[in-house]
Amino acid sequence: MTMNREREVIELEQGWAVMQKGITKLKNLLEGVPEQQFNSKEYIMFYKTIYKMCTQKPLQDYSQQLYDRYRESFEEYINSTVLPALREKHDEFMLRELVMRWDNHKIMVRWLSRFFNYLDRYFIARKSLPALGEVGLMCFRDLVYAEMKTNVKDAVITLIDREREGEQIDRALLKSVLGIFVEIGMGNMDVYETDFEGFMLQDTAAYYSHKAASWIEEDSCPDYMLKAEECLKREKERVGHYLHASSEQKLLEKVQHELLTKYENHLLEKEHSGCDALLRDDKVEDLSRMYRLFCRISRGLEPVAAIFRQHVTDEGIMLVKQAADAASSNKGEKKDSVGAQEQAFVCNVNELHDKCLLYVSECFLNDSLFHEALKEAFCNISEELLVTVFDLLKKGGSVKLSDEAIEDTSEKVGELLAYIGDQDLFAKLWRIDGDTLASSLTSSSNEGVPQHSSLQQLRDESDPSIVVALMGTTTTEDFFTRVTTLGRGSGKDSQLESHE
Amino acid sequence: MVRKEDTVRLISAEGHEFVIEREAALVSNTLKNILTSTGGFTETQLGEVRFPEISAPILEKVCQYFYWSLQFASGKETEFHIEPEMTLELMMAANYLHT
Repeated sequence: MTMNREREVIELEQGWAVMQKGITKLKNLLEGVPEQQFNSKEYIMFYKTIYKMCTQKPLQDYSQQLYDRYRESFEEYINSTVLPALREKHDEFMLRELVMRWDNHKIMVRWLSRFFNYLDRYFIARKSLPALGEVGLMCFRDLVYAEMKTNVKDAVITLIDREREGEQIDRALLKSVLGIFVEIGMGNMDVYETDFEGFMLQDTAAYYSHKAASWIEEDSCPDYMLKAEECLKREKERVGHYLHASSEQKLLEKVQHELLTKYENHLLEKEHSGCDALLRDDKVEDLSRMYRLFCRISRGLEPVAAIFRQHVTDEGIMLVKQAADAASSNKGEKKDSVGAQEQAFVCNVNELHDKCLLYVSECFLNDSLFHEALKEAFCNISEELLVTVFDLLKKGGSVKLSDEAIEDTSEKVGELLAYIGDQDLFAKLWRIDGDTLASSLTSSSNEGVPQHSSLQQLRDESDPSIVVALMGTTTTEDFFTRVTTLGRGSGKDSQLESHE
Repeated sequence: MVRKEDTVRLISAEGHEFVIEREAALVSNTLKNILTSTGGFTETQLGEVRFPEISAPILEKVCQYFYWSLQFASGKETEFHIEPEMTLELMMAANYLHT
């Protein structure tokens, strides 16, 4: 009626013989030797054997020995069978063997830990020992992984480089292998990072450094950029295919550094195909690509914006010079043609502005850095313009510019100022050249009406307070003082109307 | 109507067969291991497990416990009565079965 009271005591070796049979059968199954799968009768027998051996009286409580022999079973199997098999093979074959052995090992751990399960319940807690599953993993880690990891890492990196060169490789295999690195870490990414990722990143940097060195010499800026973009795309895909997701950020940064950061200036300043050339030739797609690539690097866009600003400034100043030359060469001619010149100038400037604004919005995605650059460029242009205008007006005394011409130039100036909305600029220039200007305005034969009308124009377009103040001056000294005070105050007073 | 695939047979030392629902059997961790092994126990398909060490009355009580445990899990509070004479063997069986 009751359970078998006289439980025969199972001696260690006796019980172990039973377990050994199970272990051998398991190994056979893993090695592919034909064997029956385990049935529940056997399972119960193994479980029972362990159970009994652990619940016997203290002298015959073989828990400790069983725990040790459990671990030794793995060690023995690994040393006699697994490691030799792995050592024989190399490269890709070795990787395949490794993946298979790892999977087998996991199965073995699962079965044996089920048989020895009773140990897991009380013994390990009592002695604060690692659980059976962990023990199994650690055996593999300390015996197999420790020995093989360098070779494995090298084999994987070699395959990656081959794929970079265009070869087809077994991506599923790599994914499995890298999975082992992660699993061996037992919850931690340390193993993956130290034993693989670090080396992989180094290799990647070397690879791309080498490539970049030759590309930068041979290729034009657009071609180089195309290649760079392609590489970044491929590396990102690589992460998706088999690298661990955590590597993505670091990998892309390495590639960016080697291809873009190191060579940025060299690239942008390429004579016939660099940034400036692209702007000249209106290569919208290439410029967009340039923006996309360099916005990934911290402060990567600053040089690009600088070139952009310089380009716009140069273009603008060229227009100013053209108009100035035309104006001074036409000085003796009819008023009409002179007026037309200036109108053409205004038109050109507006065109330039629109074109550049288009660049900013389409290629540079309305990046504020480029809006700034554009604004600064036009400030420079208008500075140049004002200087030129003042020069012309200065010469006005000896050259007799038509009233209309002066008015028109003032009109242009006013327009540009309205556009810029920065009255500081105006005040600044008055300060620089106001003396000579004032004297030319007041002393030349163009005094009186033109003076007032040009200032009139300016008043219409710009801040009324400045112009009113200036109109009241009679001496150049007074004039100067007024301007200086205004210059200091205009920053606060003037309303900065931005063109947007 | 309980389907055949959802049942498990537990066989005691004397050969008595207790047919219970699979879900009930899974209350025991040991049974769970046996029945859900991916290694492919032949018995997973047959659903039959022998306990040559456990006598019929004990096994019967154990089965009752399984059902009681399922009920309790769903919220119904009832008492599980155990005869004092049975206690020791029942405890040992429970330990063995990891229940």
